[in-house]
Amino acid sequence: MTRARVLRYADNPAAASYNPPPVEPDALTPPQFLDVPHLLEASQPRPRAGWFWYGLGFFLLIVMVSAYMSAQSQLLGMVAELLSAALMLVVIVAMGVMTWLTVKRQQAEGQQVVAVEELMQLRRWGDAGVILDGMLSEPTRTPQHRVQALIYLSAVLARYHRFADSIAVQEHLLDHVNLDPGTVHGLRLGRAMSMLREDHLVDADRAMAELRRADPERQSAGLALLEIYRDVKTGHPQEAVEIFEQRWPLLRDQLGHRAGDAYYLAAKAYDTLGRDAEAARAYERATLLSPLAELQRRYPEAASLSDKYQPAVSPVAQ
Amino acid sequence: MIPAEAVITRVRRDLTISAVLKATIIGAAIVVFVMRGALGSAHLLVLSVLGFAWIVLSYRSAIGSRLAVDSQSLIAAGRYEAAEEQIEQVLGTFSLFRTAKLLGIHQLAVLRHAQRRWPDAAVLCRALLGRKLGPIKGVNKQCRLMLADATLEMGDVRGAHEALAGLYQQRLSLAEAINLLAVQADYQARSENWSELAAGIETKVQLAELMPAAVSARTQALLALAARKTGRNDWASFLTRRAELLADVQELCARRPMLWELWSVQGPKVEGTEAS
Repeated sequence: MTRARVLRYADNPAAASYNPPPVEPDALTPPQFLDVPHLLEASQPRPRAGWFWYGLGFFLLIVMVSAYMSAQSQLLGMVAELLSAALMLVVIVAMGVMTWLTVKRQQAEGQQVVAVEELMQLRRWGDAGVILDGMLSEPTRTPQHRVQALIYLSAVLARYHRFADSIAVQEHLLDHVNLDPGTVHGLRLGRAMSMLREDHLVDADRAMAELRRADPERQSAGLALLEIYRDVKTGHPQEAVEIFEQRWPLLRDQLGHRAGDAYYLAAKAYDTLGRDAEAARAYERATLLSPLAELQRRYPEAASLSDKYQPAVSPVAQ
Repeated sequence: MIPAEAVITRVRRDLTISAVLKATIIGAAIVVFVMRGALGSAHLLVLSVLGFAWIVLSYRSAIGSRLAVDSQSLIAAGRYEAAEEQIEQVLGTFSLFRTAKLLGIHQLAVLRHAQRRWPDAAVLCRALLGRKLGPIKGVNKQCRLMLADATLEMGDVRGAHEALAGLYQQRLSLAEAINLLAVQADYQARSENWSELAAGIETKVQLAELMPAAVSARTQALLALAARKTGRNDWASFLTRRAELLADVQELCARRPMLWELWSVQGPKVEGTEAS
């Protein structure tokens, strides 16, 4: 709005003599979509209002007033008793209404979180981002909804290739929230993947070592995929192929259709090693499981494969 | 191991006791309030005792509900023994409100379903669906889906149809729609309703892509079979190849022998079990 006004003044010679009030530089910058520092700050749930002491004070006041009125005359005493009963009724009804409203608001927020999850599953990232932006721009009703929304926010940011922002959200959650081991593992995986995409290879390597150390017993397909990606990215195709061939059952069972990612990276590794027949087969299988555009978006390093190999034929395209 | 039938009997008894106790406390409070003139200041003491009892019992019920909800994450993490202990605790403690007990039965049904103990899961789901669920009516849909799946696994196609029929009029979330598709595909394949199964195949495949690997492989293999039966060979070969990549073909066909038909022409090819 401010920027539009400034432009109109500049375009209109009649307005040139007019000296507009100075505008703060920040006011000219439109608010960024999914502004991470703002959302992290603004979404903190409000501390509970301390109604207890106000309530107690009010209650004591009523008791004293009614005692005073009863002491004055019998009629006033009856009026005080009637008023006390009516007031008690109002308090009970008001508490009921307030509880009902609070529960309704919490349920509505929970439904928003579920809606975001569904939109992400349907790959409607823009819509999911809009809901998250609105939801996290004000204090959330419960800390649990905030944490869940922030986890989704990190995924949406990574989808828009805003990896630094995604890492910021993940680190905020890992540093400030007590999460269950499964969620911590998932967040660390996401953070390491964002680091790889940002070419922070040393940090990514450290993050992967941290993942292995944190739970050595865990058989993680996500970690295997990260290792394959790191080896492809750093020019170690032989190691990437070895991990892929050793851990294929794990990748298939845990990743489902996302195992297409592993095939795609393996195709790149085979191609680098000059094993064209295996590269062609892995490429075809990757595109059988996942759309080619999605794979290219996730791993731009392997985009050149499309010039050399044929994707799977899908009846959807026919 | 908590026996399903014994749990249902115990919960039924507990619900009756809690209803009687609840009615007694409320009734006593009303009587004391009405007779406050005769009781004098003692009525305040009696009301306080009743209120205190109500608060303590409500607190215990809230803890029970909380334990029941928490057992969900234990089941999801595959920690079945810990989940069983927690559910036993929920069902063993007295609760003033129905919700905690009914949630306990629901979680036990989820656990038995995850453990592939189909008869127990079916009995618990039927017991739950036969009651008024009140504030937890949201579990009705999940219960019906589990019941349909369990009865199909037990070979009871008619029972599965009855369980699914109640879902068609309800609004489902995406997760529920995905579960429904998996169960419905299984049901339609068993009842050899191939044209219905192949209808809207593109949308069904998109939903199947969101399922966990094993269920996705089974659903896409069933859709491939339906596509083959209805002459849509492009879809049949595409989905058969996908199923090969997502699961072990031998294992898949061992669970659903009708699927051997997909690999009968070229024999049981086990391409999907190897990486390259």
